[in-house]
Amino acid sequence: MPDTYFYHYDDYDRTLVSERVDQFRDQVRRRLAGELTEEQFKPLRLTNGLYLQLHAYMLRIAIPYGTLSSRQLRKLAEISRKYDRGYGHFTTRQNLQLNWIKLEDAPDALAALAEVDMHALQTSGNCIRNVTADHFAGAAADEIEDPRIWAEIVRQWSTLHPEFTFLPRKFKIAITGSPNDRAAVRVHDIGLRLWRNDTGEVGFEVIVGGGLGRTPMIGKTLREFLPKNELLAYLEATLRVYNRYGRRDNLYKARIKILVHEVGVDKMRADVEAEYAETRDGLLGLSNETIEAITRQFALPDLPPKSNLVGAVEALRLENRDFALWLKSNVAPHRVKGYAIVTASLKPVGAPPGDASAVQMEGVADIADAFSQGELRVSHEQNLIFPHVAIEDLPAVYAALGRLGFAEANVGKITDIIACPGLDYCALANARSIPVAQRISNHFSELARQHDIGDLKIKISGCINACGHHHVGHIGILGVDKNGIELYQISLGGDVDFGKTALGTILGPAVAADKVVEAVDALVATYLDTRAAGERFVDTYRRIGAQPFKERVYATV
Amino acid sequence: MAKNLSGDLQVASANRLSDGVVVWLDDAGEWTIRLDRAAVARDGRTGEILLLRARAEAFPVIDPFLVAVAEEEDGTIEPLSLREKIRASGLTFDAIAADAVRYA
Repeated sequence: MPDTYFYHYDDYDRTLVSERVDQFRDQVRRRLAGELTEEQFKPLRLTNGLYLQLHAYMLRIAIPYGTLSSRQLRKLAEISRKYDRGYGHFTTRQNLQLNWIKLEDAPDALAALAEVDMHALQTSGNCIRNVTADHFAGAAADEIEDPRIWAEIVRQWSTLHPEFTFLPRKFKIAITGSPNDRAAVRVHDIGLRLWRNDTGEVGFEVIVGGGLGRTPMIGKTLREFLPKNELLAYLEATLRVYNRYGRRDNLYKARIKILVHEVGVDKMRADVEAEYAETRDGLLGLSNETIEAITRQFALPDLPPKSNLVGAVEALRLENRDFALWLKSNVAPHRVKGYAIVTASLKPVGAPPGDASAVQMEGVADIADAFSQGELRVSHEQNLIFPHVAIEDLPAVYAALGRLGFAEANVGKITDIIACPGLDYCALANARSIPVAQRISNHFSELARQHDIGDLKIKISGCINACGHHHVGHIGILGVDKNGIELYQISLGGDVDFGKTALGTILGPAVAADKVVEAVDALVATYLDTRAAGERFVDTYRRIGAQPFKERVYATV
Repeated sequence: MAKNLSGDLQVASANRLSDGVVVWLDDAGEWTIRLDRAAVARDGRTGEILLLRARAEAFPVIDPFLVAVAEEEDGTIEPLSLREKIRASGLTFDAIAADAVRYA
């Protein structure tokens, strides 16, 4: 299946990535030969996405805006098999992490990535990181415009941008093109939301200063409506203000959210607009030709409209309860009649969230070729998406995913848990995440019960850095270390839905590791006992507050 | 029954440069992947010397440091902190295998 509908590297990109691989190969050689100290080498390996974790090096591979071709996924499987232990971890930033890379193999792994126009640049360091986007981009029925066009434009602008390679701290940008925010734009350093104004023009709401981590904050609107062709110039002005005034004296106060919080969004806006007034007519204005050329790279595949009602699908829906539930939770409306977006759940019951073996990756690539135009997306919720599946093919896709263990009808349900790698892998973590997720998943494994509980997002982080997004979980779970003992702090009411974005509120004292499942069970029981018709867990929480949940949990644990 | 839980016992650990694997410094000044062969410092002063020695042997490892351990009656050494237990023993769950079609 050709990569017809993807942005392809041009000669400039390929040369740049190839040169970086060659440079890194020489740097690794010099390090292994003792010619470079670790102090000298560490920033070089991090620049190439190579971290040192508890047991091994970890390679963080950028998947720009979460878009993958089947060919690229096969290559990731091949790399994981050849240079790692044959599996990978899809992350909350739509990237893939390989956890067992050898230093001497890292240049070869990067060279293999370059064969499919991929790299690990800017997956570390105080630079503009891999841009994330709505995982239904280019397919969603509710989409105003494909955010990947703009993510790609930002990628080109930000890649090795000399002025923004040493920012005060890392910088994360997310883009959504839909009113239903699936990219969590209000909890990023900059969130961009495409919307249509009263005159019918589409532009960006520019949101700044959101973020999770040690000091979680919801982003504020910097610009209500920014014409699209002004995007790069405006981003550049914003980054310049941050680069100039962002704090470099304190690591924990260096993110742009702290700057915005300290000076206030009005002052931030005034500074950005002043900078923008100076630079807006410079080289960064986007011509229509440039925008159109990139837009063509993301053209919708040829999908001849079909009937939404397919007899075989309806028959299977009636006779197979699990398939019927899967249609409800894992299948979303497509912009073209007769097609659907399918989410492959990388959350089989009891499995480490977001992990896939090489064989599973290849199986997913095969399904994408057969049923989804060779296209895939990675979601920040650690699942894989087939964006263009004909409704008539849904039974075949369901069956194929079932053979891979990825057909669990749990997307958005209590076992669709986000979890960071936690203390099992991560050098920064204080507590484990994955085993906690596994225990919750096993406890709530019964599918009908999950669907009775309804939409409920559990997000688990193994430390305050919040890679597991616990602040915005309906139920957030944060692992902490107290005198060498793992404890878990529970928060309620977090949300990233647009217009309802909220940070969770801590319920009370942290609970012991072996009491987390009981605590979650008590939360769910409280919800089930008190919910009104149609209320999700988080809706009930908003209506009745924390106290009933708190009383039940602490009476239980 | 572990003894010396105060953390006075220490071993020197690091990650191996070539692959990041966890290693410990043994009595001969070599880096080993076997915790049971690690040189054990039994007081703070010896720990400081062990760390100096580890740093002197720092190539081909990364950032040596001291790990507080306990010693069982049978002489078995075990790190005190969960983080170091995990470094010593590996993942606390079964990772999926390369050829796995389903998570077992």
